[in-house]
Amino acid sequence: MAKRETPLLDQLERGKWPSFVKDMKEAAEKNPMAEDLLGQLELSYKDKIGHWKHGGIVGVKGYGSGVIGRYSDRPDLFPNVQAFHTMRVNHPTGWFYKTDALRRLCDVWDKHGSGLTNMHGSTGDAILLGTTTDHIQPCFDDLTEAGYDLGGSGSALRTPSACVGPGRCEWACVDSLDICYDITMTYQDKMHRPMFPYKFKIKVSGCPNDCVASIARADFAVIGTWKGDIRIDQGEVEAYAASGLDIQKEVCDLCPTKCMEWDGKRLKIDNGDCTRCMHCINLMSKALRQGGERGATILIGGKAPILQGALLSWVIVPFMKLEPPYEELKDLILRIQDWWDEYGKSRERLGELIKRLGMRVFLRAVGLPAVPQMVKAPRTNPYVFFWPEDIKKEVK
Amino acid sequence: MSDDLKAKVLDGFRQKSMGDKKMFYIREVVRWFPDEDRQAIQTVVKELLDDEVLRYWSSGSSTYLMLAEFFPKE
Repeated sequence: MAKRETPLLDQLERGKWPSFVKDMKEAAEKNPMAEDLLGQLELSYKDKIGHWKHGGIVGVKGYGSGVIGRYSDRPDLFPNVQAFHTMRVNHPTGWFYKTDALRRLCDVWDKHGSGLTNMHGSTGDAILLGTTTDHIQPCFDDLTEAGYDLGGSGSALRTPSACVGPGRCEWACVDSLDICYDITMTYQDKMHRPMFPYKFKIKVSGCPNDCVASIARADFAVIGTWKGDIRIDQGEVEAYAASGLDIQKEVCDLCPTKCMEWDGKRLKIDNGDCTRCMHCINLMSKALRQGGERGATILIGGKAPILQGALLSWVIVPFMKLEPPYEELKDLILRIQDWWDEYGKSRERLGELIKRLGMRVFLRAVGLPAVPQMVKAPRTNPYVFFWPEDIKKEVK
Repeated sequence: MSDDLKAKVLDGFRQKSMGDKKMFYIREVVRWFPDEDRQAIQTVVKELLDDEVLRYWSSGSSTYLMLAEFFPKE
């Protein structure tokens, strides 16, 4: 049992869900860092303020990211967490581990850190919580030996992440795992040597279910999609109806564009109006299959609210064929990053820059044609601002 | 050319670090030299980092650059 009294933290253990407090108490039995961490967290709840000082040391030899410096502001009370740095370890694409790989990672962390992990952080990385400054380089050396590398942090390309894709999912329209791995390996320098105005996130989802939430989180989102009609097996549709599924109520009425009709015998889809929400396919996976031609939609500008409000991504390429070596995709990424690097203010995300300068400026700079799918809110605000010279060309 | 620019960038850091401010965004460094190529400056900054004359400082979300001699001691 932990030695400290932690009445406030104890309350967190009483809820319905597994509590991190229980894990920390277990870790505290064998690691004094975890013991002091409990104490500091209890004090934070009591004082209603965080007791961490962020920032400082950022990496190991040759790297400018992957380590996040963290120090206690009460080292007098909690000397074992005076330095409690976080290490971000680049996760395997799709978060597939073999058990021996996980054991190697944990062994390294038991040797050099608090033993506490966050598997996984919202960035996707395996987050190793709490080590001291003198252990950073040896820990990195051991991680390297075990086949791991650090991920991105700070004003860098953050560790790209992808859904499980074709590894486990029948709906993957692109090989999200391979694309993510390729991008990760191609842009190692951008990830480890921060030179951007701010963070830049790339996330790859195999289908429009968007299981990595790229549309809301990534500056550059790749979302698998299809061309062509949704394929319908009417026999299976009838089987779903016979098994009790209310197709009208649960499928057609919930279609966001109302592009489906069900007459009690046959299902019809107006594919031109389909926005790829995946609701019908998710619900009747035996009856409906995506169209035959597969590729991805490229979107930009998503971000969570930090300096400015949250932004959802914006379509810039409605359909791109994605096959190795993904030259078209990587060329587009470079053009976008180059423009943002040139014009972005410090701590300005790509979406904010586009909002400030305008989509037409962005499109001209990266050499993309304006297409109807770029209208961000077509059903509520269909307006697009063209360049005056383009209007002159059209209006004669 | 690279050595000249490297010296110029290093001198820029020394000049700008004379006041209280010691940490700079890469955007600020690029702006000190409006006539120079942005990517060339980034390249020499990386060289200066390799030489351990400069160091990164990061809050976790943003990264700054500073002269190694001013890097805070623990």
